[in-house]
Amino acid sequence: MTANESLAIITETLNNNRKEIVRNSGKFFMMWGILLAVFSLLVYFLWKTTGKAAWNNLWFGLPLIGFALSYLIKSREATVRAENFISRVNGGIWSAFGVFACSVALFCLLFGLLGKDNALAVIIVSVSLTPLIVLIFGLAETISGVVLKNWVIKIAGWITGIGGVAIYFITGAEKEQMLIFTFAGIVLAVTGLIVKYQYK
Amino acid sequence: MFPKLDPILHSELRLAVMSILAGVDEADFTYLKKQTQATSGNLSVQIDKLTAAGYITVEKGFKGKMPRTTCRITPEGLEAFRKYIDALKEYIST
Repeated sequence: MTANESLAIITETLNNNRKEIVRNSGKFFMMWGILLAVFSLLVYFLWKTTGKAAWNNLWFGLPLIGFALSYLIKSREATVRAENFISRVNGGIWSAFGVFACSVALFCLLFGLLGKDNALAVIIVSVSLTPLIVLIFGLAETISGVVLKNWVIKIAGWITGIGGVAIYFITGAEKEQMLIFTFAGIVLAVTGLIVKYQYK
Repeated sequence: MFPKLDPILHSELRLAVMSILAGVDEADFTYLKKQTQATSGNLSVQIDKLTAAGYITVEKGFKGKMPRTTCRITPEGLEAFRKYIDALKEYIST
């Protein structure tokens, strides 16, 4: 075996490893994307039919179901998916997004309980969560694409963040804004599907 | 004078296994088999050689009811791999 052949083996193996990690992330993008689309449609229809915005509290169930499904998928895999720095950073990005989104939502919910008589509560509750969350969602997706060195994920993140905010200004702050998350979920799921087949 | 290439690493399959393990925390036998496209028998033999050299550690356990063999690179293995790449660079640059 020559030095060049040795180097070719090392390069090919490292590339295949990276592809495997990106391909595996596609599965989780699909799972979270579908879950996001289903939740947003559920909240939208319940809000629309009952007229109660309180159905937004259902969103707190999304991370619970998502993490339970992730655990189930991982435990049912026949082989151990190799974990490395890249996959850990990618997981960290989405965990950070989850913490931010849940914290902001919880913060607004708690201040909302203070009622309309409280001036601070009125200001905080008037902050539109949807464009804020969809923007950091898109940002998280794009950073994920940068870490995984994948252009499809980078562009999908930009479309989700910028497109989501644009849709918000078109649909307004009513129940229709839930469809922004349907859009974000579909983009995420399609991205996952593309990535999965990109490295098949 | 060219540095001597580590004979343990200077084998197609062992080098592939070490390249995989150098980039991950751990990998199981099935993953290594899939990535290297080697036969189970050949892979087992090469893993034993790397273990005997102290370059990797092998842990046998279970995932549910299925047996699982997990491999990890050791600090000695990582150092040997780094030296091997440095030696390759010298061969190629001249």
